[in-house]
Amino acid sequence: MLWLLAIVPFVVAAGLAVARPRERRHLAYTAAGTLALTLVLALAAAIEGWSAGLVWGPMLRLQAELVPLSAVVATTIPAVALPITLYAAVHEDQRGITRLIALLLAFVGAMELLVIAADLLTLLIGWELVGACSWALIGHHWREAKKPAAGRYAFVMTRLGDLGLFVAAMAAFAGTGSFTYTALAELDGPLLELLTAGILISAAAKSGQVPFAPWLFRAMEGPTSVSALLHAAAMVAAGAFLLARLHPVLGPVPWFGPAAMGIGLVTALGGGVVATLQADAKKLLAASTSAQFGLMFIAVGAGYPAVAVLHLVMHAAYKALLFLAAGIAGERTGSFELAEMRYGRALPGIAAVTAVGSLALAGVPPLGGAASKEAVIAAAGHSGPAVAVMVAIVGALSAVYATRFQLLTYGRGEREAARSPVRLETAALAALAAASLLLSAVWVPAVHSVAAAWLGELSASKVWELVVSLLAVGVGIYAGRLLVLTYPALGSTGSAAALADWLGLPAAVHMLIGRPARAMARAAAVLDDRALDALPRSAAVMGRHLAALGGRFGELLADGLPLGLAQIVGLGGNDVRRMQTGMTQHYYAAMAVGTAVLTFILLWGAWA
Amino acid sequence: MLTVAIVLPLVAAGVLAIYAGAGERSARWFAVAVSAVPLALLTIVWLGFETGRGAPTFQWVAEAPWIPTLGVGWRVGVDGIALAIATMSALLFVAAIAWPAETQGRARQYYAWLLFLEGVSLGVFLVLDLLLFYVFFDLSLVGMYFLIGGWGHGDARGAALKFFVYTLAGSLALLLAILALVLSTEPLTFDMRELIARQPLAGSQMRGGLVLLGFLIGFAIKTPLFPVHTWLPPAHVDAPAPASAILAGVLLKMGTYGLVRIPYAMMSATFARYALVIGIVAVVSILWGALVAMAQRDLKRRIAYTSINHMGYAVLGIAAAGAMLGGEETARRLALTGATVEMVAHGLITGALFLISGSFWQRTADYDLEHYGGLAGPAPRLTATTTLASFASLGLPGLAGFVAEFQIFVGTFAVFPWLAAIGLIGIVITAALFLQMLQQLFAGPLPQRLATFPDLGRIELAVLTVLLALVVIIGVYPAWLLALINSTAEILVGGSGTH
Repeated sequence: MLWLLAIVPFVVAAGLAVARPRERRHLAYTAAGTLALTLVLALAAAIEGWSAGLVWGPMLRLQAELVPLSAVVATTIPAVALPITLYAAVHEDQRGITRLIALLLAFVGAMELLVIAADLLTLLIGWELVGACSWALIGHHWREAKKPAAGRYAFVMTRLGDLGLFVAAMAAFAGTGSFTYTALAELDGPLLELLTAGILISAAAKSGQVPFAPWLFRAMEGPTSVSALLHAAAMVAAGAFLLARLHPVLGPVPWFGPAAMGIGLVTALGGGVVATLQADAKKLLAASTSAQFGLMFIAVGAGYPAVAVLHLVMHAAYKALLFLAAGIAGERTGSFELAEMRYGRALPGIAAVTAVGSLALAGVPPLGGAASKEAVIAAAGHSGPAVAVMVAIVGALSAVYATRFQLLTYGRGEREAARSPVRLETAALAALAAASLLLSAVWVPAVHSVAAAWLGELSASKVWELVVSLLAVGVGIYAGRLLVLTYPALGSTGSAAALADWLGLPAAVHMLIGRPARAMARAAAVLDDRALDALPRSAAVMGRHLAALGGRFGELLADGLPLGLAQIVGLGGNDVRRMQTGMTQHYYAAMAVGTAVLTFILLWGAWA
Repeated sequence: MLTVAIVLPLVAAGVLAIYAGAGERSARWFAVAVSAVPLALLTIVWLGFETGRGAPTFQWVAEAPWIPTLGVGWRVGVDGIALAIATMSALLFVAAIAWPAETQGRARQYYAWLLFLEGVSLGVFLVLDLLLFYVFFDLSLVGMYFLIGGWGHGDARGAALKFFVYTLAGSLALLLAILALVLSTEPLTFDMRELIARQPLAGSQMRGGLVLLGFLIGFAIKTPLFPVHTWLPPAHVDAPAPASAILAGVLLKMGTYGLVRIPYAMMSATFARYALVIGIVAVVSILWGALVAMAQRDLKRRIAYTSINHMGYAVLGIAAAGAMLGGEETARRLALTGATVEMVAHGLITGALFLISGSFWQRTADYDLEHYGGLAGPAPRLTATTTLASFASLGLPGLAGFVAEFQIFVGTFAVFPWLAAIGLIGIVITAALFLQMLQQLFAGPLPQRLATFPDLGRIELAVLTVLLALVVIIGVYPAWLLALINSTAEILVGGSGTH
């Protein structure tokens, strides 16, 4: 039964690919119905405790089950995908709209598979299918060559990380003879460390952590709705989710905590700086995604997977909202240049709804985003006050770029909007904003304790942490406002622009991986043609000479082949004598018949 | 049953060769009908194949004496591995024959050669006599030589000659090895079952090593492995598309199948001693094939080099499975099962890719990737099938290639952890090169001269749909295939009675 969560969206996607309805309304209803059904199924599965299994082979078995953490994520995915897909059905270009909606559904299906997985093989299947969907979605507008190139970049970069999961699966099988999560508890020693390293690398690649972060930037070539889903609930969410899900296995490895926190902290700080300096609305949000997932890595590293999942859910709601809002502003501007927007006067309703998302991103209480961020700070605080302060700085940076985003996209300006958004677009944004507001309930102690009871321990903030963090948010908002007033076009030129391109990381990846790989391929190809082929080439030349001498190659071969065979058999020496005892006629008869047949075949071939 | 599967296409080939009245259309449909018979027969054999414990290794055995003093006989029979590969081959032959090819006015001869090739290829996989194996192995070269030379394009004669001379050299090494192996038996026998049971060279280090070397050279050239692979790209580039599909899908499998059938099974102790070397060569092939493929601008050369990469995976699995005589049975069984699935998957996937490249050639007579672009517009069906085949080839889960590669890597890791880890890099390179190829062909602006590029025709689409549907089925639910292969892998791996 649990497979249905993944199968339903896939089947509908396949149906759309075959039936090809072009009417937006039909697409919207079909997609919404499918996702609503998936949502209901996810809730039912969580309540009823469904599980599933499928035998692939004597040694391979796919398994699925829901634990509280995965049930939360499995529910979040269709819930967030629903408004996004509705928005896509009305917002995106008519050309290829059916393909887009079908792929978005498949994306959800693959993501659900990854979330319900209870063994590494099932996980790997979902994991890579998510990557393939993102390839197709990022390159959706394939007529512009750079878009599929960005899709390829994303796929190859994340697949490089996927090798970590392959290694993890190999280590698990070598140690336990199976792939199930439950069996992983038996692992210890080097195999457990190998598994941990593999999973950490895969998760970092998927979640756009350093050094894999650049693919998230290139992924911005995709349509806005794709970015929204990719950043909020699918693909990127997979990394942090996996770490949280497997924390019981990974946690005991002594270096896991520091490593995950280190990756998360570096990415969160770097992403914060990048987002602060970005001049492009979507890239600002992309860098902030890396940073927010950095926070989740910190939470898991600190030993609080439930906090990471809580932040994942909050982030899904507000980040989807912000992307969709950016899409509306971008459509009217014709680009995503932050300096060209400011639709606050023209679209006051959208501006107000967007503000909910921006405040949540900034971490302003009483929004849910603030609650989960405070929990991350508290979790980090267990590793020392310095770490907590650094996370608070990450929070300050979030406030800076959230303020910039809000004021530049929907601040008050003179821009006129060519047309107001259609009803479904507004409804999608409003639904996501309502979700963000609803999630604020987590501040209520009763709700908080219920969540903690179900998900696991949610660390409580110390008073000084809360004070420092709130101060940081205040400073951040102020700084963001100042930046907007003094440097509205920040990040479009000069060293700020250079830093805004992920601190030069894409160039480094290109220099260290892309270029050498291509150079090696070219060198290998040259070597292959020149050196390795020299021997057979000389043989071929010789053959041609022989053919020239003997007239037609076919005839020569007809004589040569059996003759050659006979000679080689003759080389067998003493042993061959045994062959000839008594039954020589048989042997020669067989040989003669064989030669005749062969000669006939060869002659006929040469003639034909 | 199996005899009919081998002999019927051969007889039909003879009929087509002699009967001058057959026109293009009738020759084609006659050939399609004939080639479907072995497929049907093998399907029946599959359905009747017992996979339970205690089931005989070789089933559907039939034999007739031929040269009793030499221990030569007409012996046919299959185990799970042979049956899986033979059935895939039979299917691929139907696909290749049904494919609308340019027969240059010599349809009768073209289809006769394809049927001839089908008969001898199935012979290689179905016989249980070493001499017959060798004869069929060699005759496959002859059939392919004339298909490439007669119906190829570009420097077809040259490519065919290179192919023939190169692989014939491999066959000679193979022949020497076979003779040396057989001559050490007393009484003399070419019966594969006997040879497997007797392990003739188990005691002799030196001789065993040399004989193994002979087999390895012979099969490495056929597979092909680095560094004896350079005959493959020109043969593919100049061959007609269906011949290319057969060459990659069926003929290359003779190398890996032979490796499992003969040195692995008949001289397991010697094989285990040198398994690491074989594994290293396989990993080099994996990386080299992928790297060189990435630098190719020619569509067919690119696919050809990925064959070297994929066959490297298969050989890596075989090497890991045969690396020891006892211990790590589960992992080694996984590796051998994976290697066999790789052979089947590669046959279907690369067969489809080569047929697709034929569609390109028929429309533009051009394989240069840089001359293409934007074809997703005029040719959506071609785009969809090529994308699916490419993702299958780069090992995307849900498609057949993944089922193979995952098992190979996981199985190999328990035996040769470093080789498995290094080999993994291959799957990233293939991802990059296939996505780049897709982008080059189908994305970006459409050049003016390609504006009228026709999409796949009805037959083309039908053939590719069948092949790719199987790729998807194996990828999503491979239980039926794995059960068959595993039953034999269990016997081959657990040789010391541990299963």
